Amino acid sequence: MNLRRVAAVASKEWREVTRDRMFLLLAFVMPAIWMFVFGYGLVLDVEHISFVVVDRDHSPLSRDYLYRFYQSRYFDFQEALAGEGDADVWLQSGRARAVIIVPEKFQERLLSGQPAEVQTLIDGTFPLRADITKSYVIAINNAFNQELLVDFLARTRGLSRGEAQRRTSPLGIEVRYLYNEEVRSTWSTVPALIMFSLMVGSPLLTALGVVREKETGSIYNIYSATVTRLEFLVGKLIPYVMISAVNVAVLWLMAVLLFAVPFKGSLWLFIASSILFVLTSTGIGLVVSLLVSTQQAALIITVVVSTVPTILFSGLIVPVSSLSRASQFQAHLFPGMYYTNITRGTFLQNVGLAVLWTDILALAIYAVVLGTIGYHLFTKRPRT
Amino acid sequence: MDQPEILTPPPAQVVRVRGFVKQYKQHIAVSGIDLEIHKGEIYGLIGPDGAGKSSLMKAIAGVLTYESGTVEVFETMIDTERAAERVKQRLGFLPQGLGLNLYPDLSVDENIDFFARLRLVPEHELAERKARLLAMTRLDKFRARAMKNLSGGMKQKLGLICTLIHEPELAILDEPTTGVDPVSRRDFWAILAELLQERGMTVLVSTAYMDEAERFHRLSFLSSGKVLASGTPAEVHALVPGSMVTFEATPQLEAISRLKTGCTQVEALGPVLRVFTEDTNPVSAAQAITSYLGDIEPQQLHVDKLDLEDVFVALLLREADQPPPSPELPTASVSSVNHGLAIEAKELIRDFGTFRAVDRVSFQVKPGEIFGLLGANGAGKTTVIKMLNGILPPTGGEGWVAGEDMKTAGGAIKERIGYMSQAFSLYLDLTVEENIRLFAGIYGLDRRATNERFAWIVSMAGLQGYESSLTVRLPMGVRQRLALGCALVHQPRVLFLDEPTSGVDPIGRRHFWDILSRLAREEGVAILITTHYMSEAEHGDHLALMYAGRIVAEGSPAAMKAQVEREAGQLLEVVTDQPGLALRQLERAGFAGIALFGAQLHLLSRDPAQDEVRIRESLASEGLHVLGAAIRPLSLEDVFVHRVMALERRDRETTKGAAA
Amino acid sequence: MKPADRLVVWCRRLTVMTRKELVQLLRDIPLMAFLIYSFTLSVYVTGNGIQTQLRNAGLLVYDADRSLSSRELVSRFHLPYFRFDGELIHADEGFRRLDRGRSMMVLDIPARFHEALVSGEPTAVQLLVDTTNAPQGLSAAGYAARIVGQFGQESVLARNGLAASSSTTVPMIVSDHRVWYNQDQNETWFESISHLLRMITIFAVLLPAAALVREKERGTVEQLLVSPLTPVQIMLPKVVAMTLMILGATAVALFGVMQPVFGVPIRGSLFLLFSLTALFIVATAGIGVFASTVTKNQAQVGMMTLLVVAPILLLSGIFTPMETMPAWVQYLMALSPLRYFIEIATGILLKGVGFDMLWSQALSMGVVGASLFGFGLWRFRRQFQ
Repeated sequence: MNLRRVAAVASKEWREVTRDRMFLLLAFVMPAIWMFVFGYGLVLDVEHISFVVVDRDHSPLSRDYLYRFYQSRYFDFQEALAGEGDADVWLQSGRARAVIIVPEKFQERLLSGQPAEVQTLIDGTFPLRADITKSYVIAINNAFNQELLVDFLARTRGLSRGEAQRRTSPLGIEVRYLYNEEVRSTWSTVPALIMFSLMVGSPLLTALGVVREKETGSIYNIYSATVTRLEFLVGKLIPYVMISAVNVAVLWLMAVLLFAVPFKGSLWLFIASSILFVLTSTGIGLVVSLLVSTQQAALIITVVVSTVPTILFSGLIVPVSSLSRASQFQAHLFPGMYYTNITRGTFLQNVGLAVLWTDILALAIYAVVLGTIGYHLFTKRPRT
Repeated sequence: MDQPEILTPPPAQVVRVRGFVKQYKQHIAVSGIDLEIHKGEIYGLIGPDGAGKSSLMKAIAGVLTYESGTVEVFETMIDTERAAERVKQRLGFLPQGLGLNLYPDLSVDENIDFFARLRLVPEHELAERKARLLAMTRLDKFRARAMKNLSGGMKQKLGLICTLIHEPELAILDEPTTGVDPVSRRDFWAILAELLQERGMTVLVSTAYMDEAERFHRLSFLSSGKVLASGTPAEVHALVPGSMVTFEATPQLEAISRLKTGCTQVEALGPVLRVFTEDTNPVSAAQAITSYLGDIEPQQLHVDKLDLEDVFVALLLREADQPPPSPELPTASVSSVNHGLAIEAKELIRDFGTFRAVDRVSFQVKPGEIFGLLGANGAGKTTVIKMLNGILPPTGGEGWVAGEDMKTAGGAIKERIGYMSQAFSLYLDLTVEENIRLFAGIYGLDRRATNERFAWIVSMAGLQGYESSLTVRLPMGVRQRLALGCALVHQPRVLFLDEPTSGVDPIGRRHFWDILSRLAREEGVAILITTHYMSEAEHGDHLALMYAGRIVAEGSPAAMKAQVEREAGQLLEVVTDQPGLALRQLERAGFAGIALFGAQLHLLSRDPAQDEVRIRESLASEGLHVLGAAIRPLSLEDVFVHRVMALERRDRETTKGAAA
Repeated sequence: MKPADRLVVWCRRLTVMTRKELVQLLRDIPLMAFLIYSFTLSVYVTGNGIQTQLRNAGLLVYDADRSLSSRELVSRFHLPYFRFDGELIHADEGFRRLDRGRSMMVLDIPARFHEALVSGEPTAVQLLVDTTNAPQGLSAAGYAARIVGQFGQESVLARNGLAASSSTTVPMIVSDHRVWYNQDQNETWFESISHLLRMITIFAVLLPAAALVREKERGTVEQLLVSPLTPVQIMLPKVVAMTLMILGATAVALFGVMQPVFGVPIRGSLFLLFSLTALFIVATAGIGVFASTVTKNQAQVGMMTLLVVAPILLLSGIFTPMETMPAWVQYLMALSPLRYFIEIATGILLKGVGFDMLWSQALSMGVVGASLFGFGLWRFRRQFQ
């Protein structure tokens, strides 16, 4: 490999990029904007679930019970309905996600030591939301039950409230959260967003690189010169790897300064693996660009190939462990997942090479495979 | 440079091609070509678009695979990428397409640097070579200018510098002059000749301009993937004996149909007819023509030798299985009501930022008239057309097209005009029929009218058999006829054609012009056309020459020639054994405005007899021989070159004056 | 010309131009292959694969008690929510195993756990949870708390002689959840619908944008501009053609994958679904049209559209519920047609509701779409003047 030729290709490419002002601006601004919007916007605490109630009992106890929902920040009270009949309309129109129906004789039954059945109708169109709603309802019910039981024992067994409370003391659970002690969802999304911004943005930088030269004909300068395939591909990639590397730095600073995510691990490890990752993500664009013959196809294929797996299969939100087998397989085919492990590991966990070496190795293999594919796809003496 | 030297001793072979075959999927592009290129010569590949020139050149440059045969370059068999790599340092390759292989956003300097560094040219040598080449091409003033802001001629010269910056032993130039105006083309050949002489380089070059064939030491004429003829220009000339008879005859259409009963090549250039006969004897040739014409009396008849273009056309016609489709123009039901003027431009101005591209341009075109707009690349022709057909709003001035005011009736104008843009602008991924029906629909034709016009276009443009072919697979000449057909789908009253024949072979061009003449003569369509083929401009009824955004001369072709003769004298043609050296010697001796035409030197002279003597003396002092000298009628190319070179000289002097 | 003739010509222009766009699209083989992949295989893999609910959370147990009760408690952590990753010998092994990232939590049961439960002494189990993925960690902790709570409650009842089975004599609220529209909370339904919407969005933005830039780059737009076509007549057919193409692909996804393979119900009116899908595509295409007018080449148009499309895909409520978003994101996303369309699509398919329930969503989408499209059109016209 002759470095002068690599430098010639790289500096030509760099000049072309810097002359396209809008492209250059977008290349730097896009990841930062995404980081900002998603860092603040992609919060995952489900709150304000809108609900309506049907209170058939209208007793002090039923009011006491429902009050717990009104008070909760997880629920957003909409309206008290006269009867169940209207409930469908609320769920159907999407104005309410849940309906809580308190039955008749709610107070009477509970005070007489009998169970009462509270019905919750939940909009199941978005299963995640339905699941969370259900668990919120159960939590409120459990707390209410605990009080009912203390009351009941105190009344029927003639125990003091303290004694009743002691005898019903539930099995405790002490939860200790590790790595993200305050369980801030920004702490876990922001490191993954570094992955997202690079994985979605970088392939597009290189996606049109070779197709454009094929369409205009300037690729013949490369074909007819003594520059080797490897020199050309490396030179072509360098400016975009540099742009992406700058973006890594900017995103890292945003994470640490703006979002105050702690960085507990080794900075060197982070930098080294980031460069490796940037090589693979820009490399994907380059390979697409070698495969297709029109810019339009390159553009659309790159966008779909880089965006969809990154959103779904890279651990950004949905953990890879809860994917189906086929999707887990697909997740392992994209570099995003490995780098998510690395960013979260270095930011939050302070784990080192001993733990992350498999992910880094996977990225390295990925880079080598992409390089090999690129090398073989690019021929200086084509058929047409 | 010198032919006898090449013949003895046995010349060193730079390229040897045997039985070369190139196939793209089902389509055979080149079928069995043999070729040998000797060290130090300019070898020309000539032929229409799609003849296989590019495929052959790419294979020699090692950037394209081929199916069978052998290609040897510098005694290395080019059969794998690895083998090709071994000779690439000794090659320079300029692909087809004006400036397309350059980087538009990079400056002249940066473009050259990139090519040089890619070829590992040492930095100190690079600086020296770059300075020399830039000075030679007069690009040194534009070093910092972005390539996209250069004119066509400048782009072409920059492309040449970039290709030659590593001083290759063999330069492969694919249609370097297509789309470039005559003056820039001339400049290009002069520079190439000079470099050749200095460096002892070998050049393989292709062109679609037949008149450039005279500049090659040896050439091959390709058609449909086969070699029709090869050898020195003289040898090729000898393949087709015959002569060309030119005269005027009225009524012209009747004369043409009579001539076509016996002559294969009949061409109308405005009022003048050019007819090919196989007779080499001037007297009997003239007699033959007169006998075909019968009671029509030819005026101003004279008989000339064939030029190479005529030879190629004859070869192509000989090759073709059948004579080209004679355009039986189906009469369309048009009422050619005369609205007065078809186009009128009054003081049109267009500025781009601080740059004035069009400067107070005024002209008029009558219905049925063919109006030719000539000028160098970047003179403002395309901008004028774009303003008139409503793509670009003018900065100032007024215009009327098809009887409507450009400013107020843009919509009505668009219904009545047809337009063929410089770049092919039909859909390559649609078939011929789909393209025609698309444009019929765009112009609002109903089903019946569409079918009628479809049939008309197919027969007019000779597209029979191509109806369901994808446009991308059509040869260039057919594409251009299709584009013309689409521009005519709605029977426009005014037709704008911007370099419609760039890169089209001579037969295609002649066929194309037949159609245009008929449209103008028979249907009264007004045609405004730009072209870089000066021989084509002879077809125009009225011409205007643009320079730097202004019209600097106008009139009929004859009037324009007469004007130049009045101003600068008669045309003296000098034939020498070494035209390149002779040109420089005469320039040194103080002959201004001398130009190379093919292998001849052209010069305008007020006193031809005395000038001839001075030229002979001047050349003899350098050991150069004059083989002949004669007064010739001016061609439009002479007019163009004379005018533009004079203006450029004046410009240079004023800038020098301003700088001083 | 009479107005009627004018209309005929207008329609004829629209028809031929639309047909041209369709033919061109169909001839781009790699692009078509990719379109088909996106609306079939990709929908299948995603619908099948994505689980947003807790699945397979790796659980390590340190059981210092090794009693009946402790085993009973551990046995309640089971698949599909929890995956048992083994027992730890030493309590301090937990941190190291969590560092490795294979397991997500450690359940630490103290010694004398059984005794305490029987005697009613207060006792507690400890749970270590990896929250590098915060929502996932919280969700796992929530599930665990529910299991432990239930287990605790049962032992309280047993201790107090109130057998859990005879719950008729215990005063407590029995939760009766009815999940409507998707009783089994079948995630493939929602995930395949949201993936379909994702693909519709990407193609609806990119196809017209790329096609318009291509006409500019290849110079064919010049030939159209000198014809009597108005800018609307140049742009609209592209949008119509892309809309037809995407509607076709949607039908393939719906009837070829989602309905037969996943059993996604179509409870509402198909006509309404496809009409509103068409409205959505046109609305979204406005973004692409706009992007094509502010950019000069394919590279720029790609970056520009992606800049806008990524937030739309992530924050419109097809990825995470709208309820999770901060107020400002919800306001911002009022500009995203997808935000309304997710309600419309799930409403028609899963809830089987009609236009009477969806009109407000449809109206909002229409208004946003009309503004986006109108803005795109305005820019498109302006660039040629």
